[in-house]
Amino acid sequence: MATAAMLMLSLSVWAQDATPLPSPTGAFPANKEVLHSSMFGIGWSNILDTYLAPYNYTGSDFRFQRETTRMTNLWHAHVCNQRLIDVNFATTDNRAGNHDEYAGGIRYSQGWFYNFGRGNVVNPAERAASPLSLAAGLAATGYLGGIYMVRSGNNPAQLKSSLMVEASALATFDMKIGRRHYVWRYQFSLPLMGIAFSPNYGQSYYEIFSLQNDDRNILFAYPGNMPSMRHRLTVEIPFRRAALRLGYVAQMNQSTFHHLKYHQYSHDIMVGFSKYLYRK
Amino acid sequence: MKRTSSLATLLTWLISLSTLLLTACVKEDDYDNSKRGNFEALWRLMDEHYCFFDYKRQELGVDWDEVHTRYAAQVNEKMTNAQLFEVLCNMLAELKDGHVNLSAPFDYGRNWSFYEDYPENYNDSIARLYLGHNYMIASGLKYIVLDDNIGYVRCESFANGIGDGNVSAMLNALATCHGLIIDVRGNGGGQLTTAHTLASHFTNLTLDIGYVSHKTGKGRNDFSAPERLTLYAATDGIRWQKPVVVLTNRAVFSAANDFVNCMKHCPGVTIMGDRTGGGSGMPFNSELPNGWTVRYSAVVFYDADMQHTEFGIAPDLPLSMSGADIAQKKDTYIEKAREYLLSSK
Repeated sequence: MATAAMLMLSLSVWAQDATPLPSPTGAFPANKEVLHSSMFGIGWSNILDTYLAPYNYTGSDFRFQRETTRMTNLWHAHVCNQRLIDVNFATTDNRAGNHDEYAGGIRYSQGWFYNFGRGNVVNPAERAASPLSLAAGLAATGYLGGIYMVRSGNNPAQLKSSLMVEASALATFDMKIGRRHYVWRYQFSLPLMGIAFSPNYGQSYYEIFSLQNDDRNILFAYPGNMPSMRHRLTVEIPFRRAALRLGYVAQMNQSTFHHLKYHQYSHDIMVGFSKYLYRK
Repeated sequence: MKRTSSLATLLTWLISLSTLLLTACVKEDDYDNSKRGNFEALWRLMDEHYCFFDYKRQELGVDWDEVHTRYAAQVNEKMTNAQLFEVLCNMLAELKDGHVNLSAPFDYGRNWSFYEDYPENYNDSIARLYLGHNYMIASGLKYIVLDDNIGYVRCESFANGIGDGNVSAMLNALATCHGLIIDVRGNGGGQLTTAHTLASHFTNLTLDIGYVSHKTGKGRNDFSAPERLTLYAATDGIRWQKPVVVLTNRAVFSAANDFVNCMKHCPGVTIMGDRTGGGSGMPFNSELPNGWTVRYSAVVFYDADMQHTEFGIAPDLPLSMSGADIAQKKDTYIEKAREYLLSSK
């Protein structure tokens, strides 16, 4: 059901993008360029949350990503803005195969990246002075999700929530074969600092939400207690006025709050579309 | 040139950080899905999470390290799963905690001595005679007006939600009664919020009913500072103002035990019957490497005097079912409660 919903969302977003707009001839100022992309992915997830169970749960992973990256006027049009929405759902079970666990969440990220040299990570095929463009910057990222363990009890679920400042680097490579441009993109993101929610070691959600007893449930997060990172590699294959986008996303979320261990390692193969548009 | 140098520095930093993070993996503890491995996993799980070790040492003389030594000697790789299950259940039974269970596909390990070792003090066939056929049901609360104008409420469980609307509707229907009997005998618990919702209709004031504390680390004495537990008077619906008798037996456990603790603080309420079964720890679930489910007490609930109610709450008026009454198909508890309520008119 969730998979179908993600697919529908992906298709509806794509349909919206398909409105005819001027082709990327370079006649427009660089700071008017916008890259839209929607991808849906399927893969594998490994989850450990010792609040729920002391062992890894593994299974299928589903992901939807919606990206909008645009050049801005900032710093002599060297800065681009990226908005990334990432929706993830995983269905897993334990090694014995007798308990199920579901995890899901939504991540929203707003980042600003400085394009080095005469690079342009938004549209390298049209704008960059060399095939390789590089950009780096910071992003504000919010995440809201949870893990649900099917067996009943007073600790059936775990809320996952954080608000982080992330360092992120983008690299694009314009691979021209004949008259076609195949644009490769790689992005690496590293949460640097922020706040995250966690119950205390043996604290129940009844205490947190029904009794409203706080026990350091909002914590300062940094790579020492939340060593996480994300990788994304995509390639755009020109297809009429848009591009087919294939990719791989690796999401490695980890934390150790209040002696509770958590990780979710997700690897997804992504497929979708991207399109260059021009703002007025 | 300068930009290229800055770029190289930035990329070096990112690659270094990435490498550092790859080495900072948050991994599951090593486990071994053998007979010995499952035994050790269970012992350690309890050691790091169970919340009553100090109290059980004080009351029962349980030394968890000594328990390990004694039961480890009984585990070997040649034993069957059923034999391992028996050993593990025996080890857990040392804690005499109804909230401690081991669940396998073929059995449910438990220690229910909190009620199995005592008279039941409840006869379902007889109690049903008082309800008859025309009783009403408000979200699991069965109620009727007895012929001496005493309201009788049978509350068998707190597993399903009971809302303020349900309680108010029931109290409204019983409003003309001289008093109310709330029979929670055999109520094995359920949701604390449900127990508190029902109790909140029997006080006009905010009451301090106890304290709660949870574990903050793996050490047996790593606990949070106790936080006060409060029962707020119901603000939505009817609050009962007449005398109430709560009937209890040894099978009153967990959330029902907490309900009795709440009612003990409410004005005009008398607890009548046998000591409750206790179960004051809030249970969490976990599992063993072989997939067997473990349940254990994780959060401690104290009474208003910071005393444990893990082994039950004493009644205000102790009672036992009379053999003569049973022979006459009478419930001693209900009869005594009616007398008490009528005498306090």
